[in-house]
Amino acid sequence: MHTRRLLVGLGKAVAVATLLLWSLFPIAFIVMSSLKPGQEIFAVPPAYVFTPTFEHYASLWSRWPAFFGGLLNSTVITAGATTLAVITSTYAGYACSRYVSRFTNVSVMFLIVVRLIPPIVVTLPLFPIVNALELNDTHIVLIVLYATFFVSLGTVLMRTFIDQIPRELDEAAEIDGARQFTILRRLIVPLAAPGILAVAVFVVVFSWNEFLFAFIFTATNAKTAPLVISEMIGSIDGVDWGILFAASTVQLAPVLLFVVFMNRYLVAGMTAGATKG
Amino acid sequence: MRSRSFAHVMPLIAPVHILILSMIVIPSIFVIWLSVTKSSFGLAPTYVGLENYIRVLSDPAFLRALRNTVVIVVFAVHAELGIGLLVALLFANGLPFRRVLLVAVLAPYAVSEVIAVVMWRFLFDPDAGPVTLALQAVGLPILDWSFEPSHAMILIALLTIWLHLPFTFIILYAARLVIPGDLYEAARIDGATNFQVFRRVTLPLLGPAIVVALVFRYIFAFRIFSEVWLLTNGGPARTTEVVAIYLYQEAFSYNAFGTAAATAWIMVVASLLLAAGYVFLLRRQVGAHAH
Repeated sequence: MHTRRLLVGLGKAVAVATLLLWSLFPIAFIVMSSLKPGQEIFAVPPAYVFTPTFEHYASLWSRWPAFFGGLLNSTVITAGATTLAVITSTYAGYACSRYVSRFTNVSVMFLIVVRLIPPIVVTLPLFPIVNALELNDTHIVLIVLYATFFVSLGTVLMRTFIDQIPRELDEAAEIDGARQFTILRRLIVPLAAPGILAVAVFVVVFSWNEFLFAFIFTATNAKTAPLVISEMIGSIDGVDWGILFAASTVQLAPVLLFVVFMNRYLVAGMTAGATKG
Repeated sequence: MRSRSFAHVMPLIAPVHILILSMIVIPSIFVIWLSVTKSSFGLAPTYVGLENYIRVLSDPAFLRALRNTVVIVVFAVHAELGIGLLVALLFANGLPFRRVLLVAVLAPYAVSEVIAVVMWRFLFDPDAGPVTLALQAVGLPILDWSFEPSHAMILIALLTIWLHLPFTFIILYAARLVIPGDLYEAARIDGATNFQVFRRVTLPLLGPAIVVALVFRYIFAFRIFSEVWLLTNGGPARTTEVVAIYLYQEAFSYNAFGTAAATAWIMVVASLLLAAGYVFLLRRQVGAHAH
């Protein structure tokens, strides 16, 4: 019995170690490599003890100014898309939760079905239209596209979260003479904050990391950080792995920290999103 | 009362619907029209019926792209489900530092496809990649992914599993947590073995969650673009193209919007069929529970 328990414990330890290696080693390895001096990146066997240096970050700064412009664009686009998606989803989620009718039920079904359309499909007609409106390579195109591809999930999530707020609260506020938007802003928004954060996590991670739309709709002005990094990979013959690792670390660090801090809301959002729509 | 609530509802749900109609629904319908016409620069588009669809479906490049996509969907998604299930059961079995480990498993969710390609490209670099060196050290074959299409597909599958395991794991783990503990106690008292408990209690009760995770992942894996584009560009010689890359090449490299649009609708219909299968399976499961 004693050996059996020991074996089970050992098995678990091995499983956990494998899992950590699988999930974290690729991330840890690029962060670590970004700090390795010069050619030590290619040392065989790989060096795990070295004197950290910021030389690759310095070269990134001097050789790829476009990357920092990309970070700025990514920040603007992420902030814009998140604000747009969160506000519109909260409104619609509130309506679908509080005014249940055949109309809102059909509208929720519609939102779920729309999620089946692959994003690349809409690039075909939107590309010429965006060009004709001279909106290509602007932040607004990506802001609207990123928000749009999350408002259906966002609405369904917000409805689920708002359903948990007792209706009596709205009714009491209504009797006191509060208008609809006041109820929404003063009562629903604070109580549905976990839902809002869950929607925000999805949109932030997606907008910060997205590649396809940025690749098709931007060229220089609105180019996002992932796109600049993809150009670094593209120049692979002369690719400077040190710079590439430094840029990857800078792009990854904020969103990784964000996910770590918001993990509760991410888990709540994934579970609710998968079961309700 | 009804008209009052309608007046209340409209301003609230209008923004979401305006966004979706203008950016997704109307463009998608326009793609249907594109898919049955032939257009080139300076000429008015002409109606050609199903010609574009026939052309795409008989194009060997499309069929290869479709086969690659199906291979990724079938291989990667099921492997991911198996791993996700194992990890979920490991967590449910009781682990120290569970929250910390959970966050560690979630971490790849934060990683963009671009960064994931940087990571996995270097890990499997034929000369200096740590995984390549480790494989060589223990005498295993290495992945020659930049020359050998099937090796590239393995790397793409690994990368996809790595990026999406957090989602699959969370869905299964959440479902496992809500299975009442008394069911396990009852099974123990009846003398069930671990495997019997898994087979007769855990697996049936996880059924709906497994179907949800599978269908979501089928639908999303079927659209795969960035990972493949950034890793191999569809090459060498279009051997690792997937359907989304075929579509992109038709539209943006060859200016063949008609065939690209036909490909797009083939993708939409495939997603709808997958989702319809999901609804069917879920209905049948709900029905089975009722009896």
